[in-house]
Parts: sequence; structure tokens; C-alpha cells
Amino acid sequence: MSKEFIDHRFHITRRHFLGKVSLGLGSVALGSLLIPDLLSKSESPIQGLGLPHFAPKAKRVIYLFQNGAPSQLESFDYKPMLNKMMGEELPASIRMGQRLTGMTANQAKFPLVGSHFKFNQYGKSGAWVSEMFPNIAKVTDDICFIKSMHTEAINHDPALTFMQTGAQQGNRPSMGAWMSYGLGSENKNLPAYCVLLSRGRGNGQGVYSKLWTNGFLDSVHQGVQFSSSEERVLYLKDPEGRDRADRRKMLDNLAQLNDLNYKEFGDPEIQTRVQQYEMAYRMQTAVPELTDLTKEPDNIIKMYGADCLVPGTYAANCLLARKLSEAGVRFVQLYHQGWDQHGNMTGEMPLQAQDVDRSTAALIMDLKQRGLLDETLVIWGGEFGRTNYCQGTFSAENYGRDHHPRAYTIWMAGGGVKPGITYGETDEFGYNIVKDPVHVNDFHATILHLMGLNHEQLTYKHLGRRYRLTDVAGKVVEGILA
Amino acid sequence: MQRISRISVNLIFFIQVLLLFLLIFEDRIELPAWLQVAGRMHPMVLHVPIGILILLFVFMMFRNTFQKNQFRKVMLLCLVLAALSASVTALFGFFLSIGGDYGADALQQHKISGVVLSLLTFFILVWYQNVKKSMIVLYSSVVFSILVLLLTGHTGSVLTHGENYVLAPVTNKPEETITVENASLYRLAVMPVFEQKCFSCHNESKAKGKLIMTSIDKFKRGGKNGKAWIEGNPDSSRMINYIHLPLEHDDHMPPDGKTQLTPFEISLLEAWIQSGADFEKKMNDFAEGDTLRMLATSQVNARSKNVATVVYPFKAVSSEVIRKMNTPFRTVFPLYQNSPALHADFFVKESFQLRSLEELNEIKDQLVVLNLSKMPVTDADLTLISQFKNLEKINLNFTTIKGEGLTKLKSLTSLESISLSGTSVTKDALTAILSLPALREVFIWNTPISEAEKVELEKAFPKTEFIHTLFNDTSLLALSIPILVNEGILKKGDLLQLKHTMPGVAIRYSLDGSKPDSISSATYDTPISVSETVKLRALACKDGWYCSDLLEITCYVEGHTPAQVTLLKPADKQYPGEGGSSLTDGRKGFTDVLKEPSWLGFRENAFEAGFDFGSKPPAINKIVLSYADNLGGYIFPPTDVEVWGGANAKEIKLIKSIKVEQPTAHHPQSMEALGISFESSSYSYYKVVAKPVNKLPLWHGGKGQKGWFFVDEVFFY
Repeated sequence: MSKEFIDHRFHITRRHFLGKVSLGLGSVALGSLLIPDLLSKSESPIQGLGLPHFAPKAKRVIYLFQNGAPSQLESFDYKPMLNKMMGEELPASIRMGQRLTGMTANQAKFPLVGSHFKFNQYGKSGAWVSEMFPNIAKVTDDICFIKSMHTEAINHDPALTFMQTGAQQGNRPSMGAWMSYGLGSENKNLPAYCVLLSRGRGNGQGVYSKLWTNGFLDSVHQGVQFSSSEERVLYLKDPEGRDRADRRKMLDNLAQLNDLNYKEFGDPEIQTRVQQYEMAYRMQTAVPELTDLTKEPDNIIKMYGADCLVPGTYAANCLLARKLSEAGVRFVQLYHQGWDQHGNMTGEMPLQAQDVDRSTAALIMDLKQRGLLDETLVIWGGEFGRTNYCQGTFSAENYGRDHHPRAYTIWMAGGGVKPGITYGETDEFGYNIVKDPVHVNDFHATILHLMGLNHEQLTYKHLGRRYRLTDVAGKVVEGILA
Repeated sequence: MQRISRISVNLIFFIQVLLLFLLIFEDRIELPAWLQVAGRMHPMVLHVPIGILILLFVFMMFRNTFQKNQFRKVMLLCLVLAALSASVTALFGFFLSIGGDYGADALQQHKISGVVLSLLTFFILVWYQNVKKSMIVLYSSVVFSILVLLLTGHTGSVLTHGENYVLAPVTNKPEETITVENASLYRLAVMPVFEQKCFSCHNESKAKGKLIMTSIDKFKRGGKNGKAWIEGNPDSSRMINYIHLPLEHDDHMPPDGKTQLTPFEISLLEAWIQSGADFEKKMNDFAEGDTLRMLATSQVNARSKNVATVVYPFKAVSSEVIRKMNTPFRTVFPLYQNSPALHADFFVKESFQLRSLEELNEIKDQLVVLNLSKMPVTDADLTLISQFKNLEKINLNFTTIKGEGLTKLKSLTSLESISLSGTSVTKDALTAILSLPALREVFIWNTPISEAEKVELEKAFPKTEFIHTLFNDTSLLALSIPILVNEGILKKGDLLQLKHTMPGVAIRYSLDGSKPDSISSATYDTPISVSETVKLRALACKDGWYCSDLLEITCYVEGHTPAQVTLLKPADKQYPGEGGSSLTDGRKGFTDVLKEPSWLGFRENAFEAGFDFGSKPPAINKIVLSYADNLGGYIFPPTDVEVWGGANAKEIKLIKSIKVEQPTAHHPQSMEALGISFESSSYSYYKVVAKPVNKLPLWHGGKGQKGWFFVDEVFFY
């Protein structure tokens, strides 16, 4: 019987054959129409680009920002000429039409005033440091002073914004946000960018959160401000009655819901939010060991000074900064307010110096002892300098200085910077730069270079053009690279 | 044998015909997947005809070792095998060529010579089988076929390995200098990107997707799927689309495992296509602010900057491996983009497992920097670490090693820097690794190694830098001031809590206005109970430290609250607070924030307020005024204070009036409490008057002007 079947199969008609074939081909054709187009652009990465462009010298930055503008003439820029010419009028040939702030614009006279504090040379490098900073004076062989910084901004807000975000107008991402975008965080359990604030006893100016904003970058890159109270990060402990496993389950389910939402709306902020929940969860484990300062050995506490155990002080922030940096936080920014000595320089500035001197030197020594100074860039400085003439009633005993954007001093240590040198020079009046000027854009370009980033290539397209930290300027300062 | 021979010859004939047929209709042929597999076996099967033909030649040379009829059989056998394998190889080769991944010109030569070889061997076989003898013809034809074989083989290797493969190591190409002036923007900026990352698969010899990028004309023509770009429209350009696909996608370019394009290079290519994908225009032909010009300039500058890149003796691992290595507690990253060298960091001590370290074995050749700071690593684990032969920098701070394991690290010949701070490593244990050739810095702070031993080490190993304790100041320091925990106004019965963040500190305090000291004053053990507003003075003391500065703070305690408060004279317009109720709302202000509802400011008027205690007034013998003392802000204590009492607002008489001592010099700002005690009374209504200073004293900058009086709370006890 099977043979008949086979024979029958062999006697299939042409019509039948063609019909079957066309059906098969037709279904294949239909299938091809249903395959979705695979050639669509992938989503832009939220986490940033991830790697340095070339071999970096520094892996992390600790920026000790001295808010209010510390006077360079009383700290690191020694100008004995001013003491010799005490009380004499500032020559117009030196001033060269530099604009004045509203505070001194109505002054009839601009009497020069020299530093009330003595200067001395220290270390193999012979760097000049005033008597207000005896501890920093001990570590000058690790420091590179830049005495020729200059900026255009003359008041605090635009100058601060310029130093932090690369432009005098706000809404640009801050330096730390750019680093977070370009390099990400080494330690996934901590934010890439942390901000610690402290107030001094001198005349203070405010700091605003736009100085650590993410600007137009994803909000994942925003600076995380730690609280100044004893609980530096709030709500780290699980609430009563819930344990870590519960939280994990809750977060997993929440992530699923957020994912559904993301698939529907495609809003990258949803992803940011999910990532921040995860980061917060991991911070519960990682942060307590960092903020518990009582376990620090006695010699560390003595090195930083007793204040380092009091949260909210500059010393405590320095110690915490070292711990955060040691744990892999990419950019730690400190702000110490109170340096705006328009008056009462002899009264206030020593108090400010007292706040920062010991712990700043301790930070450098602490990093060096642990073998971290080579890969951590420490920066100390303000937003502009102070004038060599006196603001208000002139008195050699107590005086004030106004803002001076044309020349100011900052210093850097570690992280691939040449130690024990001074870069740039101001004239004997301490007013103009005579050698190697470094603009804020150059400063930024150099920092990015030390972190292994080409400042011209770390860009982000926003509103039709490519932005970068150095905007359209900035040259790497080769002279300070080790 | 005969039958097999006949079948084979027929088979060979069939294959030749099939081959020719396929060649003629090449363009209309679509290859099913299983034949593509056969095509890919071409590089394997081609070895057979090569071997057979050479063997054939060898047999011909040694003809005399065979007997005559033996020789003929052997030759026939070899010829059959040669022809069969050559034709099958050619057939498979044809299948492979349809895949389209090869440059047309080079492929053409190889194809022709391969087909010629296949036909040639067939004809030799047929001729030898049927037409007898003539060794000369046989010899010459075999030699000729070997020549054709060589030609086929050479052209085939050009397809696979590119031109000049064999002699490349000994040939040197002259570098042509290109400058901004004579070269186009394409040549200067865009082509180097292609050169580095695309040309290796898209050239004349190897043209994946039939796209040849090395020749401008061929590049413009595009590949298998058409043109690579659409001028002026990067988003729709195939090349750009492929670049933006996810890495795992098959069509993502460059393919996974090859060096990827940097985001900057991608922007450059997009800008180039946006401005028309021009190959001729020079840099200066573009406008000054043109995007493409700016990107290209940056690219050229970046390359010419000559940032030294180290060449490592090992190759990179795939990005997939690196991704796998990254967990929340272990980070593995290349040192920089496209570097084969990796660094590994470990975080969170509690989550450390030995397995995490063992897993690094997968990248043991690429690991250059290792950070195990604070992890529970022991000497035994150092054996694992010694396998990372190319390690240059290692951080073992605060690990639990004791030093015996350090000898195992002697194999790390590239080690430049080792940090052992906070470990129990002794000088003897350390000497084990100090003879490493590249070692130039060792960190030994907080180890059992003493300063004297460090000096010895420095003498013994002058090329190495030893960093020991840098802070040697043994002078005494002052403690920080104690902290008052209770903020704001305390309720009756609340206890004052003091604390100090440094452990082991004794706090001495006083409540009566005297200055506490470290010997005779009361020590703070338990929280202090207070019944009314007091000025607390406290300091902290500890052995080995100077006592801290004085903490001086007024602690406010809630008293009797009046039912109603009326301001008899209005406060200054700028500082109205919330009217009378601010005085008893239990909310304290801050001295530096005065434009705030807690504060009432008085300058022109005196402070005059009436407090009504209703029908059942309590017994009151003290009133405390909480005021701000901010001399720099012209805010002074009141000069006179009066307390009036009575049954109601109309029937009151003066109970007490005091004059307040005025400051004689500047002092820092603070919150002060002014207490006025009087005979206990139970009046229903009290009036309090406080006069702000009328003329600021001579020592003050605003001498002669009116001063201010700021009050935020009034307490009744």
C-alpha cells in the first residue's frame, strides 16, 4: 500500500507544486516585513565616558576652596616694597585703570599698605610663607605655588562661579561634575563628587549649590553635599523594624516599576533616580566606616588638631576629605568661608589662618604617608586676590583690602604637579603679573590634563553647541607638570 | 579501483561543469546557509591539493624508483586526487567568495587562477588516462600546474593577510610629510581615525561588507549595502548608524574586541559628514568657527602633542572580560582609553572575599596597579599577588600582612612603588623585596619600623625613597570646646546635656557665672537639671592636652506663659517679627539672622509690652529678656529696663527699674539673657519697658547715632 502512496506523491501536479511554493515564499516575505528596523541609535550613556584620554598623573582631586578670597599679600606673596611704601598713594602707572568695586570706587586715596605679618623662607625651595601659616610652611617642599593667577570677575558670585564652572554666568556644570562625567567614580559605593562646607570666624560670603551643580549634564553628576552636623549623611541606618534584606527587596521591586516607566517615557532622569537609590543603598554600608572619626589613631588627631573631631569645622572636613579620597571618591571639594577681609585684617585673618593652617598641612602629610599624594591633586586657593591698597580708613595696624582680580595666588600639591616650585610672578607692588600668567581657563585645562583628560575633547553637546569646562579657551600650563 | 576511478573522474567532470556554470551566473546566485559553511571550509581543504600536487611532482622526480606499471597507477591515483581536491577547493572557494567580504580586484586574480588550476588538473588527468605516455608533456604540465598553484596561493594569501605580508618585517616605507597647508582636512584629521580603526578590515585585499575605505573613489561607492553615508545627514548615514549600535550588536562598528572609536572621534566623523563628506577641502577653506574645523584642529593638536604612551609587552583583554571583573566592591579599569594595562581597586572591607582576589587571575598579565588598602589580606594571599607579573604599583595599607609573605613578591620585576603603611611589616621582612630592580618608593608609615631603621634602609638602598612618619610634633594642643546638645528653649524638668566628640574627655562646668577650671569645678557626669534660664560655662580637659577654650552659652528654660501679649509701642518697620506673640512663642532666633519672625527690633521707640496672665496669675519673681548682642551691627544691650505690675493695663505701678551696664569695647556677637529679679508677686498684668541705646559710645564706629535693641523672647519665672 505504501508504494501506491509514494507513487501518488510523485504524481503531483504542476499547479499544486507552484501553489505550494508561492505560499511558502509569500509567508517568508510577510515575515521580513515584520522584522523591526535594527538600525536605531543607542541611548546616550548616563554614566559618562569612563576613562582618561591618556595616562593620568592624578586619580583624585581634593580642592580646598578658601571662599571670600584670602589675601595673597598676607599669606604667600611676599612684597616688602609695600611695607617700605606704607601709606603712599598707589601709582596710576601700576594701577593702569583696573576697575574698582563699588566699595572703594568712592575712595579719594588709595594708600599702599604692607603686610602686618612677617614673612620667612622655608624648605629647600625657599618659598615665602607668612607667620600666620607655620604648618603649611613646613610642607612647602611638596607645594607648587602659582602666583600669577588672574581672572576677569571682580565680585564673589561671578568669580566663584568662574572658578568652579568655567564661566561667570551660572548653570554650567562644575569642575567636579565634569570629572564625574568624564571619569566616573572609582568606588561605586560612594558618590563621585562630594562637597563639605565650613564657616570661619571672619567676614563671610555665601556659597551656593550652583557651585557644585551638574548644569546640563545628568543629575547623577551633581556634587553631594555632606551635612555639617554629627550625622554627616542622614538616614544611613535602616528604620526600626526593617532589615537590610527587606530594603533590598523593596529596591528591587521599585526598580522594576521604574523600569516600566522608563520603557514608556524614556526619560533618562528615571535611570538617574534608580541609580541614586542603588548608590544610597550601597552608601549605607560604605559611609559609616568613613564618618566614624573616633576610631582614628591619636597621632592622626594630633596631626590635624583637636577640631578634626568636631563636625562642621574645616579640620574635620580635611580629615573626612582624606578618608573619602582614600576610599576612591573622585573629587572632594571643601569650602571654608570667611576670608573676605575688607576690614580688620589683623583681627580676622589670623583666626581664619588658624582654622586652616594645621589641618591643611596635616592633609598633605597624611596623604603622603599613605602613598596617596602622588595620585591625589590637592588645590588650595580662593576666587581672586586682594588689593595692595587699603580699603577704608588707613592704619598700618589694622586695615582692609578690596578685591583684586588681576593677580592672585593659589597652590597645588601632589597629583603630578612639580613640587617645591613657584610658578609665575607679580611685580613688586603685588598688583600686576610680570611672568607666566595663568588664567582660570588655563588652571582648569591643567587640572583636567593632570587627570588624564584632554580639555578640548571632554565635551557635551547642549543647545546646539559643544560645551566644555574650559569653554573656548585654556592652555595647559606645562611649567608646573612634573 | 577501476569503478572508483571512473566515478571519481565523472564526479570531477561534474564539479568542473558546475563550477563554470556557477561562475557564469555568479551575480544571480544566493547561497543558502549550509553552503556558506562549506565555503568557510575552503581555507581548510585547500591544503589537500597543495600537498598532492607537490607529492605528484616528487613522485615524477623519483620515477625510477617505481616499476613502470606501478608508476602509472601511482600517477593516476595522484592525479585523480589532485583534480578532485582542486575542484572541490575551487568550488568551496567560490562559495566563500559569494559571502562578499573580499576586495574585488585581488579576489578576481585568485578566482581565475584557482579555476584555471582546477581545470588544468582535470585536463592533465584525462589526458594521462587516455592519451599515453609522453613524459615531457606530463612533466611540463605538472610543473605548469605547480606554477599556477603558486600564483593561486599567493593571491589567496594577499586576500587573507594583505600585501607584502612575508617581507613586511624587513621592508621600510618612507614617511611622507603632510602639513596643514598641503593636505586636506580629510587627510589630516579624518583619515588617521580611519587608518587606525577601520582600514585593517576595509581595504583592497580584505573588504568586509564589500566596503573599501582605503581608496577615496571606492569609499564613495560604498559597499554591499550601499553608500556608507548621506552627505549632510549623519543621522541617516549607515556608517554613523553602525557606530552608534550597542556594542553587542553584530553590525556595531568597529566590532567588539577591536579598538573602539572615542566619543570625540565619533563627533568628528559626524561633523565631517554633516559638512558634506568632502575629501579635498583644506583646513583653511572652512570658516573660522566651523564645527568641523574646530574638531579637526583639536584632533590634530592632540596627536601632535606627543603625550608619551607606554608600550606594554602584553595585549589587551576584551571589554567583555573587563566588564565581568567589575562588581560593586571591586573596580577594574584600563589606565586610560585603549590602554591594555589595567588597575584594580577593592572597597568595603566587610564585603571582601578571597575569591574576589582570585578572580583577578583572568587578567593577571594586564594588571599594572592594585589597591588592596584596608582589605583583610594576609601573607598567604601574597602568593596570589605574585602571579601578577606586570604589577608596577601596589597598595597594601592597613592590610593584615606581617611581612613573611613579602618574599613571594620577589618575582614582580616591574614593581616601582609599594605602600605598606599601617601594616605590621618589620625591617627584616621588608628587605626581602628591596632588591627589586624597578623599586623606587616604599611607604612605611605606622609600621614597626623605627625612624632609625628607616635611616639604615636609606643608606643600604640609596636608589629607593622611603617615606616614614612625616609628623613629629609632640607639642601639646588644646582640645575643642564641648558641645551643648539641647537646642532651643528647654521645658521645665528638661536636663542639660553636654558632650565632646573626643573620647576620654572630662567636662568641667559652672552655672553661677564663675569660670570653671580643671581642678575644682563640677565635673559633668549626668545631664544637669535647671529651673530657669542660666548662663552655662564649660570646658573640656584631658591628659596630654591643654584644656579647651570656654564654652559660654545661655540656656533658656520655659517659664510661665502669659495668656496674652500686647506691644504697646510698635517695633521698627523692618523688624516687626510676628508682633507680640514672638515674645512668647518659644522660638529662639539667631544673632546673625535678624530679618526673621523671631526677632523684634527697636530703634526709634523703646520696647514696651504688656503681658496678661489672666484671672489666676502665678507667683513671679524674675523676668528674663533674651536679646541680641551684636556690637558690629549697632545692636547693643538696652540702657534701662523697667518692670511694672498691676491688676490690669490701667492699674499698674513700677516694681523695679535697672540700669544695664554698657559694653566698653568690641566683643564677638552673642545671645544674651538679662535677668531682673524682684519681690515675688502675683499680678495679673505686667509691663516691661526696655530702652535702646540713644547715643552709641565714643569708641564705636557709629558713635553718637542711635543704636538698636533686639528681643526675641521674654521669660517669666
